[in-house]
Amino acid sequence: MRHAHAVLELLAPVVLVVAVALFGTLVSSSTQTYVITTLVNVSIVVALYVFIGNSGVLSFGHVSFVAVGAWTAGVLSMPVAEKPAIMPNLAAFLRDTTVGNVGSLAIAAGVGAAYALIVGLPLMRLSGLAAGIATFGVLEITHNVLRYWEKIGPGLNTFSAVPETTGLGQAAVGALIAVAVAFLYQRSRYGRMLRATREDAPAARAVGVSVYGQRLVAFTLSGALAGLAGGLYVHLLPVNAEVLYLDLTFITLAMLVIGGATSLWGAVVGAVVVSAVDSFLAEAENGVHLPGGTLDLPSGTRIVVVGTLMALVLIVRPAGLTAGREVPLPRAFLRGVLTKFSA
Amino acid sequence: MTFVATVLGADWQTLADAFGLGGIYALMAVGIGLVFGVLRLVNFAYGQLVMAGAYALAFAYERGWPVWVGIILCFAVVVTLAVAMDWVVFRPLRGHSPAVMLVATFAVAFLMQSIALLWFGPLGKIAASLSALNQPWTISGVDIRKISIVATAVAAGCLLALVLLLGRTRVGLHMRAAALDFQTARLLGVRANRVIGSAVLVSGLLAATVAVMLTVQSPLVTPDFALRDTILVLAGVVLGGMNRLISATLGGFAIGFASGFLGGALPTNQSQYLPSFLFAAVILVLLIRPRGLFARAGQQAVERV
Amino acid sequence: MTTTPVLELDGLEVRHGAVHAVRGLSLTVDRGEIVGLIGPNGAGKSSTLHAIMGLVTSAAGDVRLHGRSLLGRRPEDVARAGVALVPEGRRIFAELTVEENLRLGLAGRGNGKGDGALRGAFELFPVVHEFRSRQAGALSGGQQQQLAIARALVADPQVLLLDEPSLGLAPRLVDVVFDALQEIRERGLAILLVEQRAQRTVALADRSHVLSNGRLRLTLGPEAAGDSETLVSAYFS
Repeated sequence: MRHAHAVLELLAPVVLVVAVALFGTLVSSSTQTYVITTLVNVSIVVALYVFIGNSGVLSFGHVSFVAVGAWTAGVLSMPVAEKPAIMPNLAAFLRDTTVGNVGSLAIAAGVGAAYALIVGLPLMRLSGLAAGIATFGVLEITHNVLRYWEKIGPGLNTFSAVPETTGLGQAAVGALIAVAVAFLYQRSRYGRMLRATREDAPAARAVGVSVYGQRLVAFTLSGALAGLAGGLYVHLLPVNAEVLYLDLTFITLAMLVIGGATSLWGAVVGAVVVSAVDSFLAEAENGVHLPGGTLDLPSGTRIVVVGTLMALVLIVRPAGLTAGREVPLPRAFLRGVLTKFSA
Repeated sequence: MTFVATVLGADWQTLADAFGLGGIYALMAVGIGLVFGVLRLVNFAYGQLVMAGAYALAFAYERGWPVWVGIILCFAVVVTLAVAMDWVVFRPLRGHSPAVMLVATFAVAFLMQSIALLWFGPLGKIAASLSALNQPWTISGVDIRKISIVATAVAAGCLLALVLLLGRTRVGLHMRAAALDFQTARLLGVRANRVIGSAVLVSGLLAATVAVMLTVQSPLVTPDFALRDTILVLAGVVLGGMNRLISATLGGFAIGFASGFLGGALPTNQSQYLPSFLFAAVILVLLIRPRGLFARAGQQAVERV
Repeated sequence: MTTTPVLELDGLEVRHGAVHAVRGLSLTVDRGEIVGLIGPNGAGKSSTLHAIMGLVTSAAGDVRLHGRSLLGRRPEDVARAGVALVPEGRRIFAELTVEENLRLGLAGRGNGKGDGALRGAFELFPVVHEFRSRQAGALSGGQQQQLAIARALVADPQVLLLDEPSLGLAPRLVDVVFDALQEIRERGLAILLVEQRAQRTVALADRSHVLSNGRLRLTLGPEAAGDSETLVSAYFS
């Protein structure tokens, strides 16, 4: 029974991601951009989930790792000839090297992990409110430094001229990698130990689990996934420091919270549902033709709707749309597995 | 070296500005700290109350209404919103974990910001009815902008009134008791809703006051008005120590003073990294003294279990 | 004159999840009476007080003050209706002054001036008066207990509930506290005293109920205080 559940736990998000990707092959190229963005969002939210969902500790800082990943992949994959125009003050070794698509993504994941590890070393001692504020501080510092330090990137400029290699296939593969890594992690010894600390930290400590150590593992891993997602992002569309800041933090946290922060299924569902709503509204802000008339929403509607949705979910159903459960299964079956899980 | 030289060479105007900004931030810190005291809730959306007040002032200015009408409108709007926020968001969330409440107010902040965007557009409105306060006063040969002095004085006055309210009145005593031990306070007959309502009301009044003074300094009101200030104040409040109003206030003042002073005294190529240094300091304090810089030893940790 | 008692518990049931903390407890407390509630740890004594105050919801039964049900009210409303609790562990506001602590007690009065009530409390506990401008945290344990009782009295309640007021006090201070209770009874209050010190409680109270596993086992009069055999068997029945 447990084995069957494990298969479903992986299969359901995978099927959803593949379905979204297949849907993307059927639609017009402008709609396809939304589908690709949805898949990149899945990667980011799954990265968030690996830490927040498993540890129960809040982080406002993950978009920093996305940003660092985007910076890494963007700077490395931009053709040497284009660099001086956009990044005139770039450090020499970055100016003269260019790495391919996959290579730059791998390095982005590595840099994301390294940055998360460095940040996590001191920060993983904190939890609750203190963790929330401290990780927010990380976001502020990262944003501030990326904005002004022109030796490592474009500063206030936008990453134009980066090869746009994140198509439907690459985004889907990225999302699937994130889902697979998250699944393997939460099924691993480490993942189970971290979830134990989430449920009852003192009890976990009492049986010898290092809360700090387990959180650091998850933080680093989610940093890697976030870095990868950042790389996918910068290969999808021209971004700048403002794109990878508060709005993205808000919307990805909203996705996680709305879907249900404590399950992989919830993370993926949240990312897909909110992205779908968000894409539709974004389109509607430009005017969209529906059977029965044209819908033309004023700009800003998106965040009003998503914000309302998020506040509502938090107030009415704090465990999220999926109630923080893994794949919806018959209740008795689920209960059996859950008791085993929490035991 | 240039750093030291510039800082030491700072003129009186910079110093006065720093005091003014410190005072404004201290008021915001009190507004956030009061609500935290009784609800254990960090209100991320506090800056959006200030933003709403600023739009009210702009609204009045555009129509050429007298200053006092604008100020009354500002107070009415902000207090109404603060109370509504309490009813619609804080109350249903009572008893949730601090992290959930923080995320929820984060959502509310974005919500209010995008409502402002929808309603007023991204370009911003002007609220300049008090711009005369940007003129200098000459005090023994030194020119100082009036608003710096007014802001300092208003902040001092508000803080004094608050000390009297908390120290000398019944509701003030109840608020202090509720912040220390809400359950025991209720067992003694302290009415939870009234205490929370009072804290929300006072924090709304402070937000409106801040809105009036911030629009003098930056009359262009955009949807993200006061957002950066709120983030800094939150950092300052944590820096000082959330658990005591006085330490939260000091933290707010300190971060306002520091950012006003260093921002004014340093050349741009050095002051652009100021937020990084401020937040690095916040993280350092959280790690070394989780209860805050100004909190007394023996205080409870940031959260009550 | 009414025949309804000041405080009446009628078939009170309290559950904490699957645990039955109080099972069908009925008792009355009248003006000028001390009713003791004794029993081993976990017998349901504190749960009973919490249910009266509205801190926990009761699963069945009723709590009435002068015949009016208190169930479903918030703790502050129960307090303002005239029920004062001296909580376990005193729960003094250590950072506030002694006088501020007392003034907090006035919150239970609803309205009106409290200076007279403060004076009454000072008379009963001179030590509280002596240290009124000190920080309450600086008081000794016995003084804090006196302050906690004084704070409850300031509300001018009709019912005084005490949750183990003698806990952690030296014998001499226990005398002070119990003497004070005697005097408070003479002022006409209805007192429900939860205690571990069975013998002293039985001696002081007009009647004492022995609680075990949430159920009322036995009711003892003051005369049983000298009879340690009855007390012991009551406890271990």
